[in-house]
Amino acid sequence: MLAQKLHLLRHNVLSFVSSRTGSDFTRRQYDVIVVGGGHAGTEAAAAAARLGAETLLITQKIMTIGALSCNPSLGGVGKGQLVREVDALDGLCGRAGDAAGVHFSILNRSKGPAVWGPRAQLDRERYRQFIQSELLSTPRLTVLEGSVDELLVSQPNPEEPGHHRVTGIRLVDGSHPILSSSVVLTTGTFLSGSLFMGQTTSPGGRMGDAQSCAGLSYTLKETLGLRVGRLRTGTPPRIVKESVDLSLAQLQAPDKQPTPFSFLNTHTRCKPEEQLPCYLTHTTPGVERVVRESVHLNCHIQQDAKGPRYCPSIESRVLRFPGRRHQVWLEPEGLTSDLLYPQGLSMTMPPELQLRLLREIPALHRAEIRTPGYGVQYDFVCPTQLTPSLQVKSTQGLFLAGQINGTTGYEEAAAQGLWAGVNAGRTALSLPPMALSRTQSYIGVLIDDLVGRGVTEPYRMFTSRAEFRTYLRPDNADLRLTPRGFEEVGCVTLRRYKKAVSVRDGLQEALMALQSVALSSTRWREKLGNISLSENKSTTLNGLDLLQYKDVSFEMLASAFPECLSQYFEYSQRLKIEAVYRPHCEKQSREMERIRSEESLSLPSDMDYLSLPVSLSQEVREILDRVRPNTLGAATRLPGMTPAGIIHLLNYVLRTGQRNRHTEHRNRSSQKEGEKGQLCASNIPISQ
Amino acid sequence: MLPCSWGLWRSAIHTLKTFRASPSARGLCIPTRAVCDAETIFALSSGHGRCGVAVVRVSGPASSMVLRNMAGLTQALPPPRTALLRRITDPKSKELLDRGLVLWFKGPHSFTGEDSAEFHIHGGPAVITAVLQALGSLEGVRPAEAGEFTRRAFHAGKLGLTEVEGLGDLIHAETEAQRRQALRQMDGELGRLYQDWSYRLKRCLAHVEAFIDFSEDELIEDGVLNQVDSSVRQLETEIERHLKDERRGERLRTGVQVVIAGATNAGKSSLLNTLCKNNTHTQSMTHCRANPHFNGQPCMSALSHTPKYAFFLMTKSLFLMVEQADLTLVVVDSTQLPPDPQLVAAFLQQHLSTVLPSPEAGMTAASDKVLLVLNKSDLVPEEQRERTEGELRERPGLPPACFLSCSTSTGLEDFLTVLQSRVKTLCGDPLSGAPSLTQARHRAHLQQSVQALNQYHQYRDQDLALAAEGVRLALTHLGRITGRVGAEEILDIIFRDFCIGK
Repeated sequence: MLAQKLHLLRHNVLSFVSSRTGSDFTRRQYDVIVVGGGHAGTEAAAAAARLGAETLLITQKIMTIGALSCNPSLGGVGKGQLVREVDALDGLCGRAGDAAGVHFSILNRSKGPAVWGPRAQLDRERYRQFIQSELLSTPRLTVLEGSVDELLVSQPNPEEPGHHRVTGIRLVDGSHPILSSSVVLTTGTFLSGSLFMGQTTSPGGRMGDAQSCAGLSYTLKETLGLRVGRLRTGTPPRIVKESVDLSLAQLQAPDKQPTPFSFLNTHTRCKPEEQLPCYLTHTTPGVERVVRESVHLNCHIQQDAKGPRYCPSIESRVLRFPGRRHQVWLEPEGLTSDLLYPQGLSMTMPPELQLRLLREIPALHRAEIRTPGYGVQYDFVCPTQLTPSLQVKSTQGLFLAGQINGTTGYEEAAAQGLWAGVNAGRTALSLPPMALSRTQSYIGVLIDDLVGRGVTEPYRMFTSRAEFRTYLRPDNADLRLTPRGFEEVGCVTLRRYKKAVSVRDGLQEALMALQSVALSSTRWREKLGNISLSENKSTTLNGLDLLQYKDVSFEMLASAFPECLSQYFEYSQRLKIEAVYRPHCEKQSREMERIRSEESLSLPSDMDYLSLPVSLSQEVREILDRVRPNTLGAATRLPGMTPAGIIHLLNYVLRTGQRNRHTEHRNRSSQKEGEKGQLCASNIPISQ
Repeated sequence: MLPCSWGLWRSAIHTLKTFRASPSARGLCIPTRAVCDAETIFALSSGHGRCGVAVVRVSGPASSMVLRNMAGLTQALPPPRTALLRRITDPKSKELLDRGLVLWFKGPHSFTGEDSAEFHIHGGPAVITAVLQALGSLEGVRPAEAGEFTRRAFHAGKLGLTEVEGLGDLIHAETEAQRRQALRQMDGELGRLYQDWSYRLKRCLAHVEAFIDFSEDELIEDGVLNQVDSSVRQLETEIERHLKDERRGERLRTGVQVVIAGATNAGKSSLLNTLCKNNTHTQSMTHCRANPHFNGQPCMSALSHTPKYAFFLMTKSLFLMVEQADLTLVVVDSTQLPPDPQLVAAFLQQHLSTVLPSPEAGMTAASDKVLLVLNKSDLVPEEQRERTEGELRERPGLPPACFLSCSTSTGLEDFLTVLQSRVKTLCGDPLSGAPSLTQARHRAHLQQSVQALNQYHQYRDQDLALAAEGVRLALTHLGRITGRVGAEEILDIIFRDFCIGK
């Protein structure tokens, strides 16, 4: 029976089955179908279901839902920001990280709160369990084991742009189709994936799993005519912990007090003292020698045509930066696991050479390999063919998220999955699609970069990609996203919304209380003791001004004014951060406003730029025709776009907007429509 | 008029020198407060060159402050849209700059819809330069970017939708003129200096960003930030010294650039000599140079009052020279023209396409930058010459053509009249020259760059994200001179300089 229901967690099966009636088993119509059970797929399915859409998650193997295919860790610099934002929109990965983490640390602790990187080593088993039980308890969500053979498409809805409309999927062994209003594809590395180890290659997306069928790939390429590219990734060998001489490696202790990822959690499941350490060691000249000797036996490296700018494997590291020492982190795989994960030693050479290479490192001199490392090459769909809601422009109702869009990393996948799930759900429920601004979130930066610029190498998030980094901080992700997620998007539960609102109000009150205490700098010095204030004696400073000073903490101020400040102790860290960053964020507000107004002007996706009756140079027309930017904002960021071209485009959009107000209405939220009048008055981008 | 214009620009350089000494020192004193919500901009709105009255426009929230400070209005502002004769003084030194009319426009009843002011001053370059420099020294006031007044008017809804099309063309024309000017400057020593700063600043930013994004996971040497510290400090010192150094300003191109182009033996050198020998021109032509070593395909010489610049250009590719020139004199040997006047136009068209860059750009665009000189007219039968002249007059697609004999000076007067009117138009065009404005814009961006770099040091040990913000901001300002720098470019440097894994 293909509708084999989730039966992985024995103690949950009863409650699960009892929550469904028998007729559900034969259900053939859903609002949303999500294909793939990785980080993107699970977030997409959960988000669509939270929105109120009847959702079906299809995966090859129910047991691998929520599996960490590669590194046993979550977060980091830039990536941690994404986890916080996914959590702020009520996604799963933040809470899963808190439940599965066995080693928590905030990276960049010394570099300013805007670039702090919350990170955790995870217990693979706990992570999988958490995700699976979350999905199991999500109302309106059904999980099905199976392999998708083809995507069903039909004629498009003529009122909306696009050449096709997705109507459902057909399973490999299924005689009848399963219908849905929207489909989210999160196939990861399984789209025409091939595995590489030494000189052998085999089809597949992950070692030990069946290859996915060629039908889906065919539908995307041939039926829908999507442009695809090829990317590569890899994973290191897993090492038996007992065989490692850890005394020769450097111990890396976790933070004494773990900081949870989720805004809902005050502490993590793992107790501070139960945390596991990591170990740091380094490569040796011997490692370089083995790599050089094995190059001729290494198909993956020889085929390195794309050549990403960073170094995905130890082979590319030593070939690109010879003669250097490279770091290798030995990370725990879980509380009960007997394996170590050597972060930084991703390799694709034959297994016997992998062993030789490892043993060139002192701490690994008698290491044993449990499973060797391997490389994967897979197809991705060029993401410039997507809208900011992650829908394929040419196909109504088809959404893509994760590695299929050319990204790498769990966090990047989760972020896209959530947003694709939101929009798949909204489409199914006949709500207009939504976009996140790059001025508001890293998720917005990620999606805007993908759909606006495309990828040439696996896309990974860095804080340097965000223009408004001082505003897009991990500490304020809830204020940035949770209220909007509840009020406008619909993907946030009431419980989280209430919590965010109470935090927002509390912070607001506290900031006002801080501003209400004003003293001369002389008096402040008397109150707080020896602090260095640069202002002259007569200047009056309020508490918020004072909190900007490096040496002043909220606790100091609260002890000076206990009656009005001590009630806000719980926010002390957030208040300090807010005080330091607020003046800088205010300076950037005008630029943010400009970008936002450009982003809200959407360009019709079926615009014929080559024959548009406006004065544009042939060069500009070709650029526009090739990239087909979704918004005026994306158009201004295109290299080669001229200021005059932008003005002409703006003019055209405003004019056609007046003519076809009703059709455009479908593409934009009604609130943005109301802002049209203001657009004329706002600053238009003129790059010099 | 021709010598006048050239002489005029020469004197403008001198006045620039005298007026720069004080503002440059003053400029650095601008408080480090960031530009607030809406900036106030100024620009010379009337044309350049000798004129009776010049109009300087100011627009933005600080306009009333500007008016009070410059026109000594301590009390109430004048009634809107009423001219008032005032002494116009330097707000800092209180030195008298000029007596002229000032007008006050309260927003939204102004061209831009914002609070605006106008200064109607005497048209001499010295006065104009002094007033512009004084305006630039005020806090929160900066020189306008190309087309910025019009753009603000557009945003304020002062221009209807139908006018937007025109605005696009206008901005195109303005940026095109600016691009030509930038190209010229970027080619010289100043351009190399700016590019060098931009490159070094990019590297600084890349290294700070690498330290932020990767130092926890990857092996990034501890010394990286210390190197950035000293590079940033070095850059600050250099930019500050540059802002104080008046001599560099001289190297900026400040006149009309004329290129003489033509085939071997067409008479380019003769034309240059004729122009130089002519008594009325001697003064301004002393710096003219012809390059005798060019005997390649179409050979050309450059005429400019800035000798260093002319010399520099000579070593560059020929088309580049013509592209950067304000005016190109294409010299043709009349004896080579087809005897049948009907065929002359096609012949010249063909000839131009070999001399000028991008012939597909269309003759109309190039024709107001090109004059045809049909030399050796004394060797052509008079009757043929007259018929050819008549034929060419009816060809609007071609640039104006003048018959001239450099050996007998026949036709010289007519040619000079045409040349003078052309140069006059170019000087009257606010976009062709505007050296003081361009310099003021560069100064403003450089000053803001230095201020932003201060922020790096201020936060270096306290908050690296805010310190990096300072470097980002500095690069943004420098990028307004040298071209924008995107995140991908920074990542390129990071991945080139450091070994970053997955």
